[in-house]
Amino acid sequence: MRATGPLIVLLLALSGCASQEVRYRHLPPDTPAANNAVNLEKAMALAAQAASAAKDAKPGAAAEPVPVTPADAPSLTTYDPWGSFNHSMYRFNARFDDTVFWPIANGYRRLPSPIHAGVHNFFGNLAEIDSIINYTLQGRLGRGVRSLGRFVINSTFGLGGLFDVAEKLNLPKAPTGFGTTLAKWGMHPGPYLVIPIYGPSTLREGIGLAGDYGASYAVNVADLYRGNLSWGLGVLNAVDKRANVDFRYYASGSPFEYDTIRFLYVRKLLIEDAGLHRQRPAKIPNPDQPAGE
Amino acid sequence: MKQCVVALALAILFVFPAVAADTAPIEVPAVPGPATGLADLAALRATVFGTPPQDIAPLPEKVPLLEMDLALPWARPVPAVFWFDRRLRAWFSAQDKPAPLAIVIAGTGADGNTAKLSILRAVLYGAGYHVLTMPSPTFPGFIVSASSTGVAGDLVQDGRDLYAAIQQIVAYLPRKVRITDIDILGYSLGGANAAMVKSIDAEEHKLNIHRALMINPPVSLFSSVGRLDKLYAITLGNGDAGVERFYQQLYAALANLYRASDRVDLDEDFLFGAAASILKTQAEFSTAIALTFRIALINVFFAGDLYSGSGVVVDPRHPPNVGDSMEETFRILRSKPFSEYFSKVFAPYYLRHRPNSTLDELIAENRLEFIGDALRGDPDYYAQTNSDDLILDAAELDWLKRTFGARIQVYDHGGHLGNLGDRQQVADMLDMLGGRWKRSAQ
Repeated sequence: MRATGPLIVLLLALSGCASQEVRYRHLPPDTPAANNAVNLEKAMALAAQAASAAKDAKPGAAAEPVPVTPADAPSLTTYDPWGSFNHSMYRFNARFDDTVFWPIANGYRRLPSPIHAGVHNFFGNLAEIDSIINYTLQGRLGRGVRSLGRFVINSTFGLGGLFDVAEKLNLPKAPTGFGTTLAKWGMHPGPYLVIPIYGPSTLREGIGLAGDYGASYAVNVADLYRGNLSWGLGVLNAVDKRANVDFRYYASGSPFEYDTIRFLYVRKLLIEDAGLHRQRPAKIPNPDQPAGE
Repeated sequence: MKQCVVALALAILFVFPAVAADTAPIEVPAVPGPATGLADLAALRATVFGTPPQDIAPLPEKVPLLEMDLALPWARPVPAVFWFDRRLRAWFSAQDKPAPLAIVIAGTGADGNTAKLSILRAVLYGAGYHVLTMPSPTFPGFIVSASSTGVAGDLVQDGRDLYAAIQQIVAYLPRKVRITDIDILGYSLGGANAAMVKSIDAEEHKLNIHRALMINPPVSLFSSVGRLDKLYAITLGNGDAGVERFYQQLYAALANLYRASDRVDLDEDFLFGAAASILKTQAEFSTAIALTFRIALINVFFAGDLYSGSGVVVDPRHPPNVGDSMEETFRILRSKPFSEYFSKVFAPYYLRHRPNSTLDELIAENRLEFIGDALRGDPDYYAQTNSDDLILDAAELDWLKRTFGARIQVYDHGGHLGNLGDRQQVADMLDMLGGRWKRSAQ
């Protein structure tokens, strides 16, 4: 209760000077030169990757995945039996994001870069524990060892995870979670589900999120998940996650945004599921069956 | 008998208001020539992928950004389904010293913070301008918060709405900002909007806009859009089967690429790489362009139908409410061409509201020739386009050259906006806006 007053002041300060006619919000400065340098780096990596793939192509190699055919594509419609709840929740999330979550995340992004980069790396490093557990449960031990290596390197040389030293040693992060473990075990994504504050998900991914939190709570590294600081750290983690998602509700201006996001999210999940079972032919869908059913 | 006639008349009025307003069917004139206009394979590729990062002009390290959300006093009542679009959103980057203001308008259906606008904002800011980036008047957020009709796509009306909105935004810019001059520019449809706003300002003098620059503008809105309709019909057909086929092929291609990759997450970088390996042929690029444009049109069609009460997909007596599923409406709209928006929503609405106007006049008002005298006679209008732009044909390109004379630069590559931000385009753009352009007529 004592925290309510400062929180309101903080929210008002971060949301900018609002008036009835006009609302101003200062965003972090755009960094076009750096952005273009990143795009150039990606384009060069892509060209190099394409050249090397063409050079190393070995048709009929043993690990070739079973091809997915157009007939394997799910229907254009999406399974959404909880549509009424989901629509309400999407609207709630949009309003919450616009008035509370995004303004706080925007204020956080305007802090000096070393501060939010350090916080982001710190939480990313903690998440490696969850990745180690889940890669092991998925039977992907090589990836589990890589996550373990990243955790050890970043916790020591990276000063408790504030710096991502492992990335510089060519060990890029590749987080996974309990939702992916359930998918690997063959669990269907289940109905589309919009989770309060979190956003688009499915029943399986929602269970996965709860599992991830449960695992972190059980391991409780340095008493961070059960100690006095746990609520504060949880909020900071959420703000950091939001600040690193380049999405604004209804930036599309479109009344079809809910349907578009649902369409894209479910297809992305189904393709990722297909990637987990490379040697298994994709299930041929019933054309009348909505995707995800 | 009389009761039957009254009942029939009421039915027509309530169920088919657009038909009741003008019983003669309205036809869109056919567009001659190829559906890809002047574009070849390289032009289509450039249109899809844009300027390669290595060709982008030098960019500044940092550009400040202020997001402005305005409630405009003349805004119409907001339909429930558009509850999130009450305010007009624009973005402003201020210099810390007195400077000219560049107002930049987005292309069809786009908001005021697109990747293309980010590049223009960066180079203009780097050249010393304050920069205000605006959504297209065909962006749903603009239609709801700033349009006086709700039926977007009319060059004159959209120009008037934009002009009013820009005045309001300029009045609310932060007080410390000192503006020495105002220029306006836009890309694609935004280019035509920019020229129209300048021509309105030349009569009303409320902003005193100095120079206007059109980047890859259409010459005739309906010809350019008709060409994209034709491209859609060729690549995807007229029904829903073509969209489904394209989606299935795309899904399978993405799934196979993802399965063959070593990735954990299907993210933006993966999709960028996938696009480069999936889209290769003229047909594939054409399909991607036609579908992208059709999706941009869906919001315009829906909003226009809702505001005008035309009843094409929205029952005027039972408009959709907050939380209603829009999936079926979206499905119907994606198979509807622009010609249907024109014939069933746009033309009936404007003919009803401009009683002395004819269909031919409506079409003529949406050609740049409508402000041709200003474009020809006023030395402060400039244009940049490409000789392989898919929204133009040879006659339209020729019209641009004749109209602008020495004030147009035509590049021999780039398709539609596929060279936006490259070194030469940016250098020429800054020379034009800065009054340093001294090229001879082409």
